[in-house]
Amino acid sequence: MKGSPAQPLCGFSNAVVQILRLHGVEDYRAHDVLQDPDLRQGIKNYSNWPTIPQVYLNGEFVGGCDILLQMHQNGDLVEELKKLGIRSALLDAEKDQEKK
Amino acid sequence: MRGPLLAGAMGGPLARTIRAKLTAALQPTHLEVRDDSPLHGGPPGAETHFGVLVVSGRFAGLPPLQRHRLVHEALRAELAGPLHALQVVARTPEQWQSDPQNPPAPPCLGGSKREKRREAREEEEEEVGKK
Repeated sequence: MKGSPAQPLCGFSNAVVQILRLHGVEDYRAHDVLQDPDLRQGIKNYSNWPTIPQVYLNGEFVGGCDILLQMHQNGDLVEELKKLGIRSALLDAEKDQEKK
Repeated sequence: MRGPLLAGAMGGPLARTIRAKLTAALQPTHLEVRDDSPLHGGPPGAETHFGVLVVSGRFAGLPPLQRHRLVHEALRAELAGPLHALQVVARTPEQWQSDPQNPPAPPCLGGSKREKRREAREEEEEEVGKK
């Protein structure tokens, strides 16, 4: 990403941080490519993906901001998090809604 | 869609290149090319940040990652060069018909320019501290 989760320095990186936050996911490794030009190019070579941010789940490249947003909107992100043993906070939010 | 829509004037040279390459590679039934560069503090005519909406039958059966890779492949040279950021919406004609929406770009948060300004400020402060 560009910047850090506490202070993103790019609208697309910020979108990723915010989406993860909505799901209650705040404990993840984030690497600021603006601090490390080698990383900035290296990660693009590694994933064969031309832009930052890049999201990896369990070491597997998932995509950038657009894809994460789509996954969030269509429910795929909740499923992927589940596979990693992470319960999305949105599931609890839904439960609360149903109780009312 | 928000942002400068490049319909009539076809935009700058990079916008035209993007349009031409995506058309050739993906034969889209609908294509929108949006220059978001003004939103990112670059000089006028910078052409660094774009958003594209591509509707093409070529995407059928492909997950989002593969669709985006097809778009990137078509714009490989540009992405290695002046094209700094690319927002991609990739739909099949059926998907587009049922939901014709193109989300705008998220707000810019400064990027490397802000980082450079911060570094410059820190250097200045160090200088002052030393005196």
